[in-house]
Amino acid sequence: MTLDAEREAHLRAVLAAAPDAVVVIDAEGSIEEFSPSAERQFGFTAAEVLGRNIMVLMPEPYRSEHDRYMHRYLATGERRIIGIGRVVVGRRKDGSTFPLELHVGEVRTRTRHFFIGFLRDLTEAQTTRARLQELQQELLLAARLRATGQMAAALAHELNQPLAAVANYLRGVQRLLEREQADMARVREAIGLAAQQTLRAGEIIRRLRGFVARGEMDRRPERVSMLIEEASALALVGARERNLHVTLNVPSDLPPVLVERVPVEQALLNLMRNAVEAMTGTDRRDLTISATAADGQVTICIADTGPGLAPQVAVQLFQPFVTTKSDGMGIGLSICRTIVEAHGGRIWAEANPGGGTVFCLTLPVAPATDPARD
Amino acid sequence: MQGDPQTCRSRRVAVIDDDAAVLHSLRFLLEVVGCEVATFASAAAFLAYDRAWPDCIVLDFHMPRMTGLDLIERLRADRRSGSRPDARIMLVTGSSTPALKARAAALGVTVVAEKPPAEADLLAFVGVCG
Repeated sequence: MTLDAEREAHLRAVLAAAPDAVVVIDAEGSIEEFSPSAERQFGFTAAEVLGRNIMVLMPEPYRSEHDRYMHRYLATGERRIIGIGRVVVGRRKDGSTFPLELHVGEVRTRTRHFFIGFLRDLTEAQTTRARLQELQQELLLAARLRATGQMAAALAHELNQPLAAVANYLRGVQRLLEREQADMARVREAIGLAAQQTLRAGEIIRRLRGFVARGEMDRRPERVSMLIEEASALALVGARERNLHVTLNVPSDLPPVLVERVPVEQALLNLMRNAVEAMTGTDRRDLTISATAADGQVTICIADTGPGLAPQVAVQLFQPFVTTKSDGMGIGLSICRTIVEAHGGRIWAEANPGGGTVFCLTLPVAPATDPARD
Repeated sequence: MQGDPQTCRSRRVAVIDDDAAVLHSLRFLLEVVGCEVATFASAAAFLAYDRAWPDCIVLDFHMPRMTGLDLIERLRADRRSGSRPDARIMLVTGSSTPALKARAAALGVTVVAEKPPAEADLLAFVGVCG
């Protein structure tokens, strides 16, 4: 065996044994290697994809964006994925999508330029993580309720002080005024002091409002596409089994939004999960997530082709404890509303013209000076 | 009217509360009904008091460092040692639990009242003191 042939044999063995899918592309995006593990993950044979563009493994919008990404990287060296790794959505031969963790390495020889992708199917891992996130969400809610209870107790104690003082002043004033020659100077002074205490009570209530509306410090400019991609990667666990087709219409030039990332992703995840669940019994299962920007706001819409909403449910949809699910608590949508409104946004539901429901929410565009996190 | 001002005139009342507004408003009300009032912003300030001993004490339970009940324990110990005379005590609290009431009763507290105490209760308390 020549040295080259030996190396080639080693490489074949590595590719065959690797638990993660390994895909090698050239600088034009054309697939040069497609490991057995990749065949299993994507349902394509190597023969079917060798020489084709890597886009074939991606759903929209990555599919149409990928060439642009690569050209930008080759031209500017701006890295969005190489050497970083992130969760993305893959597309199988049958059109279904699944979350995967992608790491990309780069190889340059004197004459050629390759990229090596390592792709781990996260369907299993994501199921676990999704459950974990559900639990975290429940804990968060419990913690919020507990914090609210503690706050109410502290507030009751603190409000009691000025109220007690006001009662004392006014009782004393009442007694002074019952006398034949009331000492009006004392009356005036006591009423002035009582009035001050009512202002103090108002101040305590204002602080309470500030507490309720807190969280603005944690807001940062975030890319809308990243929020949607991360939430959808989590929400689309098991999408293949459900025969679900997902379309993302998220323009890459959307301005960043000023949000607290985790709760907003949680709200998007909730809406996507609801949409997926709503389509459980229907033949057509199209989930379409789109985003548009106008008037300082980005609107994100999540459309399903499920049975749609009954009018009596639609009216009180975002109230706590309203649910159409047999096992639901009806808290998901009210949490979504709380999260969206805390960001100064709006959330609503409307009928999908083609059948089904569209949930939309708005988020504020970040001021232009802040650079978005990638 | 309960707590006729006349019966309370010349009675000395000590008010102990860490909230300045509560303290001042109580002084105002009690002075209007004729009491001689001394106010203290903390248990420690009261323990340092060495002038005319009060007939009765209106005492806030929720105070930092030394609570109302801790103060009462100190006062009872002092009384047993003969270093201080006795005084009737109204303990005022925002949330009175059975445990707190039991401890107060064991220490010989005359009245445990919700904050703010009803005017009639307060005046009855100072009206019958001494």
